[in-house]
Amino acid sequence: MEAILISIGLEPIPAKIISMVIICVVVLLAFVTIGGVLTWVERRISGFMQARLGPNRVGPQGVLQWVADGVKLILKEDLIPDGADRKLFAIAPYFCLIGVFGTMVVFPWGKGVIVADLNVGLFYFISITALVVFGVLMAGWSSNNKWSLIGGMRAAAQIVSYEIPVGMGLLVPILISGTLSMGGIMAAQGWLPWDWMVFKSPFTVVSFIIFFIGSLAEANRTPFDLPEAESELVSGYCTEYTGFRYAVFFLSEWANLFVMGGLTTAVFLGGGNLPGVLEDYTILSILVFLAKVSVIIFVVIWLRWTLPRFRIDQLMDMSWKYLLPGAFIAFLGQAIYMLLTQHLPIVQSVVAVIMFLVFVFVLIRFIIRVRVNIREQRIPVNSPASDVL
Amino acid sequence: MTSALKTEYLTINMGPQHPSTHGVIRFILKTDGEIIYECDPDVGYLHRGIEKIAESVTWQGFVPYTDRVDYVCAMNANLAYCMAVEKLMGIETEIPKRAEYIRVIVCELNRISSHAIAIGAADLDMGAFTPFVHFLREREHINDLLEIACGARLTYNYICIGGVNNDLSPTFLSKTAEFLDHFEVVVEQINRLISYNQIFIKRFANVAVVPAKMAIDYNLVGPNLRGSGVKFDIRKDKPYSVYPELDFDVPIGSGREGTLGDCYDRYMVRVEEIRESIKIIRQCLKQIPDGESKAIVKSTIKPPKGHVYFRTETPRGDTGYFIYSDGNTSPVRLKIRTGSFTGMSIIPEIARGVFIADLVAIIGSLDIVAPELDR
Amino acid sequence: MGAYFQNIKNGFKSAFEGMSISFATMFVRKETVQYPEVNISTNKTIAEKYKGTLMGMPANSRGILDVNLSLCTACQICQKACPIDCIVIDNVKCDKTKLEDEVGNPVLNRFTQKEALKTRTVTRFDINAAKCMYCGLCAMACPTTAIRHTNRFEMNTESQEALILKFVSEEEKARAEKKANDIEAEAAAKKAKAAKEEKVKEKGAEE
Repeated sequence: MEAILISIGLEPIPAKIISMVIICVVVLLAFVTIGGVLTWVERRISGFMQARLGPNRVGPQGVLQWVADGVKLILKEDLIPDGADRKLFAIAPYFCLIGVFGTMVVFPWGKGVIVADLNVGLFYFISITALVVFGVLMAGWSSNNKWSLIGGMRAAAQIVSYEIPVGMGLLVPILISGTLSMGGIMAAQGWLPWDWMVFKSPFTVVSFIIFFIGSLAEANRTPFDLPEAESELVSGYCTEYTGFRYAVFFLSEWANLFVMGGLTTAVFLGGGNLPGVLEDYTILSILVFLAKVSVIIFVVIWLRWTLPRFRIDQLMDMSWKYLLPGAFIAFLGQAIYMLLTQHLPIVQSVVAVIMFLVFVFVLIRFIIRVRVNIREQRIPVNSPASDVL
Repeated sequence: MTSALKTEYLTINMGPQHPSTHGVIRFILKTDGEIIYECDPDVGYLHRGIEKIAESVTWQGFVPYTDRVDYVCAMNANLAYCMAVEKLMGIETEIPKRAEYIRVIVCELNRISSHAIAIGAADLDMGAFTPFVHFLREREHINDLLEIACGARLTYNYICIGGVNNDLSPTFLSKTAEFLDHFEVVVEQINRLISYNQIFIKRFANVAVVPAKMAIDYNLVGPNLRGSGVKFDIRKDKPYSVYPELDFDVPIGSGREGTLGDCYDRYMVRVEEIRESIKIIRQCLKQIPDGESKAIVKSTIKPPKGHVYFRTETPRGDTGYFIYSDGNTSPVRLKIRTGSFTGMSIIPEIARGVFIADLVAIIGSLDIVAPELDR
Repeated sequence: MGAYFQNIKNGFKSAFEGMSISFATMFVRKETVQYPEVNISTNKTIAEKYKGTLMGMPANSRGILDVNLSLCTACQICQKACPIDCIVIDNVKCDKTKLEDEVGNPVLNRFTQKEALKTRTVTRFDINAAKCMYCGLCAMACPTTAIRHTNRFEMNTESQEALILKFVSEEEKARAEKKANDIEAEAAAKKAKAAKEEKVKEKGAEE
C-alpha cells in the first residue's frame, strides 16, 4: 500500500501515515462484518442442531439479521446506572475491543498476506489478548451491581489462569519451527495433512488439545462461559450495558472467536499453505485459510450447544491440575522426541502419517455413531399411517 | 475459610425476576464471595387465592382452576380433585372401568411431559441449551395427543367428577402407541447427550446431600423423597384407581455417581420414572376395556356433609386435597397440599456452604414450580 | 491416580457421544412452522407446506366461542355453568316453537332425547371473550349445542370493549321485546275476558 501511494507522488512520511489509516479502516470494517456475520452463523447452526430454523426472515435466508440487530442496538437509550462509576463504565467495552482488534495486526490471512509480520508475532498476539481482562473487570466493577461484580471476578480469574495452558500449548510449535513470527510458523508446515503441525507427533496432538481447550476458555465460550452464565447471572459483567456499548461487547466476543480460530489454523493446521504448483495464487491461499478457520469455528459453536458449563472451582481445577501438567509433559516429550530423531527424518514422517491415520480412524467411528443417531431420530411419529378413523 | 483479614458478607438478592428460578421465587442470599452462608426464601409472588375462589364456584366449576394450580401437570391435578369429590360423594365404585383406564393413560402422559420439563429445565440451568429444546419438541407431540383427546394443550379440564368428559377416539390410541415407540428411543438419546455427560455429573453429584431421615423430617415427597433412598410411592403403597392392576417399578436413588441423596440421584429418579410411565401406558393401551366413559351424575352436585382428604401421586409428589362440605353447591373449605412447598422449605438447610452455581442446581433438582408453591 | 485418568477418559467419551448426537440432529426435519404462510388451524396448508412432524389443530380444539341462535332455547344453563361469569343472557317470553335445523329435522335435547321446545327467546347474549378461560363447561352443558367452541384463536381487536361478543343485534332485541309485549297484552286481555265471564256467570247463578 505504501509503495502504491509513493508511486503516485506523495512524500514518504504522509504516504506511510495515509496507508496505515487506510489499512486500519479496511481491517476494522472486515472485523465488524466478520463479527456480525458470525452471530448469524451461530444462530443458524444452533437452530439446526435443535431441529429448528434460525433467523431466516431479514434478507435472503436471514443474512442481514445482524444489521437489523445492530441498528436496533444503536437506537436504544443509553443508560448508565445510578451510582456507577461513569468513566470506567464508558471505557470498559473499548478495552475488550482493543484486546481483540489489536491481534489483527499479526493475523496471517494467507501466505504473505499479513499486515505486519513481526518477528515476535505470536508473543504479541498472546499479550494483546490479555487486555480483555481489564475490560471485563472494569465492566463488572463499575456497574454497581453485585451480580456483575461476581461475573467480572470470575472472568478475570478464568482468563488469567487459562493464559498459561494457552502459552504452554503454543511452546511446542515454537520448538518445532524455531521462530516466533507467524509467517515463519506457517512456512514450517506443508500443505499435506501430515505435514501440519498438529500431526507431527503424539505430543503435538496433546498440545493442540490443550491449546484448543485453553482458547475456548479465553474466549468465554461454553463450557467455560461462567462470566456470562445466562441462567445464573443474567448476563454477568455486561448486564447493565445497553445500546451501542453492549454492541461493542457483543462484537468483540464474536470476533474473538474468529481470531482464536485463525490462530489455531495458522499455528497448528498449516493455514494458507498451498501445493508447489499453485504457490502464486494468493487468493487461493486466503480461501484455504478461511475454509480451515470455518471448520474450527464450526467445532467451537458445536461444542457450545452440546456441553454444559463448569463451575468455578472445577474450572480452576481443570486448568491447574489437568491442563498444566499435560502441557509440561507434552513440551518435555516433544523436546526429547526431537532430540532422539533429529537425524532420522524418515521416522518423523512415519510418525506423522500414523497420527493422521489415527485421526481418520476416530473420524470414521464418529461418522458411524452419527448415522446410528440419525436413524434413531427418524423413527416416525405422527405419521399418516397412524391416522386411523 | 477463616483468616486474619476482616471480610464482610455480601447480601445478594436472587430476585423474583431471574432466569433460573422456575417462576417467581425470591431468595435473599448472604454470601462470602461465591459461597453461601445463609439462604432465605421469600415466597408468595404467585399467590392467586385459588383456595378462596373454591368457596364461591360450583363443584364442577372448580375443575378448570385445578388445572392452573400446576399447569405443567394439569391432568394429575384434575384427577386429584375429582377423586376427592367422588370419595366425598361416595360414588367412587360407580366410575366405569374404561373411564379409570383413560384417566391413567392421560395422567401418565402428563407425567412424562412434566418430567421432561423438569429435566430439561435442570439441564438449561447448567448451560446445556440443546436438551431442553429436544424435550420441548417431544412434549409438543404429547400436547398434540392430548389436544386430540380433549381440545386443549395445557389446561385440559378433561377429567370430571364421574369420569372423563368425552371418550377417546381410535386415532388417539394408535397415535399414542406410535409416539411411545418413537419417544422411548429418543429419550435414551437425550440422556446420552446430557445425563451421562461427565461435566454434568460433576455439577450434580455430591451436591446438597439429603439423607433419608432429613427427607422424612422435612416432609419431602415424590422424586425428592425417592432420591434419598426411601421407597414410597402412593401409587404402590396407598393405591387408587386401576394402579393395583398395573405392573411397574418404583425407582429410588442409590448413589450412582456420588452420595445417596444428592442432586444427581433426584434427577435420575425422574429420568427413570419416564421409562416406568412408558411401561404403564403400554399396559393400559393393551388392557383398556370398552364401555362408558362417564358415570351418570346429576348436573347440580351437592355432596353430603363431611370432609375428606385424598392423596394422589403427581409428578411433584404427593398432592392432597382436603375438602370440607356442608351439603351446598360450593365447598366450605378446600385446601391443597403440594410437594413444591416442602421442597422449598428444605433449601435453607441444604444450601449452606455451597456455591451460588450449586444453588441453581439444587432448585433444578428439587423441581420447584412456582404456581404450585404459592397457589 | 486411577480416578484422574478415569476422569479424562470419561470426559472425552461423553463429549464424543454428545457431539455425535448434536451433529445428527442437523440432518433431521426442522419443526419450525412458518406462521402466517402456514395456517395451523386448517390441516390442509400444513400438509402442503410444512415438513416437520407436528400436527395441526384437531376438530375439537377449544378456541373462541360461537353461538348459533337458531338452536338456542334461552335456558341459561351455560350462564350458570360458567365459573367466571363471562356469559350474560337476558330472555323474554315468546311463542312456543319447535326448533328445526337447516334441513328441517327437529332438534333434540341431547340429554333427554326429546324434542327441544322454545318458550323464551334471548334479548341479550354477551360473551366476554377476554374473560373466557376456554374450559368448555358451557359447551358441555348446552342441551342443543347452540354454544360451542370453534377452532379460531386469532382475535386481535383495538379495544377491550370490542372483545365482548354480542350475538343479539338491536333490531332482533326490539322485535323480541315487542313480541313479548304483544303476548303479555294478549294474555292479560284473555284473563280479563275470563274474569268478566266468571263474574257474569256468578251474577247469573246468584239470581
